[in-house]
Amino acid sequence: MDRRSFITSSLAAGFGLPLLSQLIARAEAAGTKILRIGYAAPVQTLDPIKTVFGSDIICQGLMYARLMKANADQSEVGPGLAESWVISDDGLTYTFKLREGLKFSDGSALTADDVAFSFSRMRFQKDTAYAAPFQPLVTIEAVDALTVKFTLDRKFPPFLKLCEIWNTGIVSKANVTALGDDAFGTSPTVTSGPFKFVEWKTGDRVVLARNDNYYIPGLPKLDGIEFIFVADVNTGVSMVQAAELEVSMGVPFARMKELAAAGVTVVSEPSSATYDMLINHAAEPFSNLAFRQAVSFGIDRGVINDAVTAGYGTAATSIFSPKLAFFDKGMTLIARDVEKAKALLAQSGMAPSFELLTNAGTTDEDKAAVLIQAQLAEIGITVTVSAVDPGQVWTQLIAGEYQAQLNWWYNETTDPDNAVRWCVWGAGDNKSYYTRYNNDEVNTLIDAAAGEADDAKRQDMYRKIQRICVDEVAQVALYHPTWTSARSPAVTGLVFDLGSQYAAIDAVDITG
Amino acid sequence: MTRFRFLLRRPFELIPVLFGISLISFVLLQLTPGDPVRLLLGPKASEEAIALVRQRYGLDQPVIAQYFYYIKNVLSGDFGQSLSFRSAIGPVLLQRIGPTLYILSYGLILSVVFTLILGVTAARSRGGILDQTIRLICVVGVGIPSYFVGLLLVLLLSLKIKVFPVSGYADSNLANLYHLFLPALTIAISVTPILTRNFRATLMQQMNAGYAVAALSKGVPADQVFWRHVFWNSLLPTVSLFGVVASFLIGGTVVIENVFNIPGLGLLLVRSVLSRDYLVVQGVTLVMASGIVISNLLIDVLMAALDPRIKT
Repeated sequence: MDRRSFITSSLAAGFGLPLLSQLIARAEAAGTKILRIGYAAPVQTLDPIKTVFGSDIICQGLMYARLMKANADQSEVGPGLAESWVISDDGLTYTFKLREGLKFSDGSALTADDVAFSFSRMRFQKDTAYAAPFQPLVTIEAVDALTVKFTLDRKFPPFLKLCEIWNTGIVSKANVTALGDDAFGTSPTVTSGPFKFVEWKTGDRVVLARNDNYYIPGLPKLDGIEFIFVADVNTGVSMVQAAELEVSMGVPFARMKELAAAGVTVVSEPSSATYDMLINHAAEPFSNLAFRQAVSFGIDRGVINDAVTAGYGTAATSIFSPKLAFFDKGMTLIARDVEKAKALLAQSGMAPSFELLTNAGTTDEDKAAVLIQAQLAEIGITVTVSAVDPGQVWTQLIAGEYQAQLNWWYNETTDPDNAVRWCVWGAGDNKSYYTRYNNDEVNTLIDAAAGEADDAKRQDMYRKIQRICVDEVAQVALYHPTWTSARSPAVTGLVFDLGSQYAAIDAVDITG
Repeated sequence: MTRFRFLLRRPFELIPVLFGISLISFVLLQLTPGDPVRLLLGPKASEEAIALVRQRYGLDQPVIAQYFYYIKNVLSGDFGQSLSFRSAIGPVLLQRIGPTLYILSYGLILSVVFTLILGVTAARSRGGILDQTIRLICVVGVGIPSYFVGLLLVLLLSLKIKVFPVSGYADSNLANLYHLFLPALTIAISVTPILTRNFRATLMQQMNAGYAVAALSKGVPADQVFWRHVFWNSLLPTVSLFGVVASFLIGGTVVIENVFNIPGLGLLLVRSVLSRDYLVVQGVTLVMASGIVISNLLIDVLMAALDPRIKT
């Protein structure tokens, strides 16, 4: 073989075949409307009662219809599978009337029996992941084929909105019983929502197709959805640019403006998320009120918000998101006051140092931690930042073996009951989001507010709760980010709501 | 064929290696803090739910017992249940081996092609402008991390000039020649410089060896000396180095799988470590370890074929 033929044949092998096969690949793309969504975590289960993780609940939200249905941005919640409902005068009984002729994706009838079965699993099955907000629900009964009755043990107005969240998705009793929980969680062959299950490539993607038996005639408009695990968000953005995805969720804030300038459609939507510094009230120095206040006055939430969210988010003034009902709009941003912080620190008598845990590999937390460290250094507090593996963080949080930790949470509905029970309810299982904050007055107010039907009175109680928690620095809320994504401009009607759902996915279309 | 007798012995040597690897990875994972069940059910789950799941997956048993159950199951071909995917690990691993194996072999084949071209070209134009250029490329190539190469390729060949896709793994092997070209090229770019430097040096050394000089002085044409003798005699050290590089790559595909979003073993491994999915980590480790042992075996076969004097 002479040199020339050696080189040409090698080059042909290296480049020719791939380019040739490109033609084949191009021919594969058909004319169907498939929405491909990239998300930075893989789906782990398709059983709605077994999880609280973003990837799972977004995907499940596309597959299982609920009694109630939210509009696109979750500002209104109205009839879903249920066409009407009656709440008894004492507020303890909710009777839902289902639409007539409801069907599952396989054409079998969806009855009150399936609804009762789904709610019973979610509420009472031992390995249910999120029964916490449904504690007042005590009995569930299918009265007849179209009527289901729920009995509560106390007045609980937030219940109606809760009948819209993902884990109340209606599953087929026959299907779950036939498959068993494990097989149902990996291949739920029957669904009630706009899309039905086709295939789950474990750790890669979930493939869904249009459910022709969906209860709203003419919907969904899409032929199918692929929910794809894209480990690196920057890869996700490139995939949208190359038309390999229609949506890439979670674009880094720092890249939003650059991408917009480059002609990529980037979207920032309201979320109910709160990023905060959790502090351990059960141990020094955060058991000391003056020390907590010194920290609170020593940091500049506005600067942190600008640095982390590039101005897309808002600095925190209260303990929960301004997007929730009964948020106290009268509270102003705590102005950073170095002198006051120094005085409080001196008054506390605590050693001026603590360790701040962050989840390793989280750029946003790194930024926030560095700023907190610098800002508190000015008032004389030495912050040691330790980036640890997320798995270890949870162990330490739950065991109470930490001083401070950066974390975040969101609320499924716009009702704040769930939110305050999550973050400041000392009587709850999670001990005020593992901060061990426990104020009897706050606990009593939370219970009272949940049972109050009069909005003005509820507003007043939530105002008190927020003021007490901010004054006592229950946790150091920092900022509220938005949900970001990069999208194909051809996608219409797609809204990711503040509860982490595509509530109006059935009306989403791909045009052009 | 006695020189290939080692083929009979080798598979048995695999057993203690895999056993040792499984033990070490099991112990290391157990020592890592973090509760897999809490990571699975999430912060909002009750203690009761956590306890139930822990019991179901046998995580409430002593660590030693867990290990022996595991070994017993693996010996009967059962890799256990993935905690985070709540399904059997065997099929998941099978799904994942394909893409990883594909980009590895694709990348290595490209590397071999590039190495042969560049090495021969450089050696034959020793000191010339081509040689200098190739040496420079190799120095730069060794220094650039592969994820950066990957990103550059995506930027250039997927976003600026839209020739290749950013991501993906197609169902047919032929389509994957196109889909996985950029990841394979990334591997080739990171591997070729190492191999080329070695190959070029060996070629030059062999070109000055006594037998080559003697042949030339007797009037054998230079091309014939080079292709018949020097070339083949120079392959041995490069093949040996190739084996080492391939072994490293098996564990290193994770970076490339991440950049190009390929659903391979590497991505699975990283996710599983993060979610403390012990048995999946074990499974992937065993598969990768077997891959390394097998690739070493193949290299030994190749070496024995190239040089009958080699005793393995």
